Amino acid sequence: MGLIRAVFDAAFKQDMRRMKPVGPRWPLLLFHVDTGGCGGCGMELQALRYAPYDMEGAGFGFVTSPRNADVLLITGALTRAMAPVLEAAWQAMPTPKGLIAVGSCALDGGMFPENYTVLGGLERRVSIDLKIPGCPPAPQDVLNGLCSLFGKQAVPPKEAETSAV
Amino acid sequence: MNAASHIWAGEETETPWRFRLQEMAWRDLVDALKHDDLPFVGLWCDGTDVHALFLPDGQPLAATLALEDGRYPALSPARDISCLYERRIYDLYGAEGMWATDVRPLLDHDVWSSSTPLAEHPGAGGGQKGLIHFQPAEHMPQEGDMADGWGPATGGMEPPLHVALAMQEGRIRAAETVTGYAHRGMELRWRNSRVEDACKLSARVAAGQSVAHQVAFCLAVEDACKEQVGPEIRLLRVALLELERICHHLFLLADMARLAGARLVASGCMGLREKLLQEAAPITGSRLLMDVCVPGGLSLRHATQMGDMCGRLCEVAERDYPALLALWQEYPGLSMQLAGIGKVTADLLERVGLDGPTARAAGWDCDGRRMMPGYEGIWRFTSGRQDGTAEDRAMLLLEEVGESLRMLDEVASRIGLTAGGSVQLSMQDSEGTGMVEGPWGGILYWVRLKEGRVEQVFARNPSSAALLTFEAILPGHQPDDVALLARSLDINAAALDQ
Ligand code: SF4
Repeated sequence: MGLIRAVFDAAFKQDMRRMKPVGPRWPLLLFHVDTGGCGGCGMELQALRYAPYDMEGAGFGFVTSPRNADVLLITGALTRAMAPVLEAAWQAMPTPKGLIAVGSCALDGGMFPENYTVLGGLERRVSIDLKIPGCPPAPQDVLNGLCSLFGKQAVPPKEAETSAV
Repeated sequence: MNAASHIWAGEETETPWRFRLQEMAWRDLVDALKHDDLPFVGLWCDGTDVHALFLPDGQPLAATLALEDGRYPALSPARDISCLYERRIYDLYGAEGMWATDVRPLLDHDVWSSSTPLAEHPGAGGGQKGLIHFQPAEHMPQEGDMADGWGPATGGMEPPLHVALAMQEGRIRAAETVTGYAHRGMELRWRNSRVEDACKLSARVAAGQSVAHQVAFCLAVEDACKEQVGPEIRLLRVALLELERICHHLFLLADMARLAGARLVASGCMGLREKLLQEAAPITGSRLLMDVCVPGGLSLRHATQMGDMCGRLCEVAERDYPALLALWQEYPGLSMQLAGIGKVTADLLERVGLDGPTARAAGWDCDGRRMMPGYEGIWRFTSGRQDGTAEDRAMLLLEEVGESLRMLDEVASRIGLTAGGSVQLSMQDSEGTGMVEGPWGGILYWVRLKEGRVEQVFARNPSSAALLTFEAILPGHQPDDVALLARSLDINAAALDQ
C-alpha cells in the first residue's frame, strides 16, 4: 500500500486564520470506508445520522463520493484487498483533507491484528488526525471525538430530543 | 439408497454423527443428493479431510473424506450453495473440488501475503499491486452490454462488497458479486485459540448477529463437553437473542426506508431502536451485545437486572411500536415501491437453501426457534405475507419485531431476578455443534476441541445463500435499486468473507 499522507491541513485546525467555518451551513463532509471489520463501527456511525444524535447540527455530514469529502473516515482492520481502495479514495479527495480512524480495528487491528490478509490497522502506517478507540465506540463517543477537532462539545443525547415516530 | 444412508454406511468415527467415507462412496453420496432433499449445512476442510454437514430432522449428520492429491469430488453439482464453500476451501487450503460448478477465486485476489495460507505449506503471495482484478463469470459481459458497478466503497456504512453489473437499456441484464474485501482470516484466528478468545471472535463475525454467533458457538462447545446449561441461562440467552433480533430488524428497516426515500419512517425505526439500546446497554454492558455470552454461561454487566430490563423494553416499545407500524403502512408510496422489487421465488429459495425471514416472507415455514431449547412455550408460529417481495420482507420484519417484544414480555416474568449462574465445563478432545435461529436465519457452529483449546471452527450463516439469492434477483432491476435490494436481503460481506 502506498502510504497515505494524512495531514489535516491547517485550514481545518483550530486557531488558524484559514480555519474553515463549521456548523450546519458549512458542514465538515466525511467519506466513510469500511476496510474490513465486523461492521459494528459502521452500524454505530449509521446511528449517528438519526436522533438523538444531532450530527448535522454539530456540523458534520456523510457524503457518497470522496470527491466531495473533507475527511476520510475509516473503520475496519484494513485488509490487503481494501488498502488500494482506500488509497484511491484518498487520492480522489480534494485538498485540504484529513483522516479519522474509528474503532480499535482501524487503529491497530483490534481483534484482527496483521496476518496473511489483514494489514492490522492504520496506526503504524499513516499519520491519523483523529483516533476514536472502542470496539465499537458508541455514537456519542464518535460525535464527541469529531467535535473535539474544533474544540467544541457535542450535545449529550439526553438533552437532544428523542423522537421515535 | 438415500443420501443419508450413504453416510451412515461409512466408517464410524469418534464423533457419533460423523462417518468417514471412501471416495467412491462420497461420489455415490453426491449422486444421491441430486435426487434427495437432505438439508445441507456446509462443507469445510482441515487440510487433511473435507467434511460435509447435513441436518436430517434437525440433527447433525456429517460425512468425512480424506483428500487425495489435494482433491475431492465437489458437492456443487448437487447443491448450488456448495460452490461458495468449495471456492473458499481452494483459496485457503488449495484443495480442489473436482467437477465443481464454479472455480473462480472467492476470497484470494492475489493480494494476500501468501496463497493457500491454511495449507500445510502455504504458497507465495500473489504480488498484485493496486486495485484487485477478478475473473468475470461466464454469463458476464456480453456484446452490447454496458458495464456498471457498485462498491466496495460507496460511502455507506455497509461492509465492503463489489457488485459488477452488465446493463442493457438501462436495466441490469446480469450481475455478479466480488467478495473477499472483508476477509479477516477467522479460520486461522480460531485455530488453537482459548475458548474465551474464540467466543469473542465469534461475536465479531458480523455485528447485528453477534449474540446469535456467540450462543451458537457456546452451544457447540457445551455440546463437545457433553454439558447443558440450566433453564435460567437458556432464558437469559433467549432474551438476548430476541433483543438482538428487534434491533437488527429495526436497523434494516430503517435502511430500507431511507434508501426508498422515506426518511421519516427511517427516523422512526432508528429512534425506537435507540430508545431500546439506551435502556439495555447499561445492563448488558454492550450496545451491540458483543461479548455477552461465554461457554457455560453469560457475561453480563448486571445479570440480575435482565428481567427488569426486558419489562422496561416492552413498556418503551408499547408506546412507539404501533405508531411505527401504522406509519410504515401509510407512508405515501413506500409499500408500493418495495412491492415492485426484489421478488424471491420458492424455486430460488430451494435451489440456494436460504432460510430465515427471506424464506418466511416467501411462504416457507422455517424457523429454528421451533426446536431451540429455551423457546418452549415462548415462540409461536405466526404466518404473514408470503409473496417474497421486498415489501413482504419489510412487513414480516415489522411483525417479527412485535413478536419478539411479546416474547421479551413473556421472558421478563419468567426470569425474575435470576443471574443464571454458570456451568463448569471440563474440556475434552471432542466435537460439538450448536445451532441458533439468528436474525437472518440459521447460524450453526461446528467446533473441535483439543487439549483444552479450540482446534478448529466451522461457522455456517445465511450470508452465502443470501448472496446467491441477491445475484439471481438483480436482473431486470435498475442500477439504482442495487443498494436497496442488498439491504432487503441483508447482504453482509463481514459475515460472508469472515
Ligand atoms: S472495532 Fe470492533 S466493532 Fe468496530 S469493526 Fe472492529 S471488531 Fe467490529
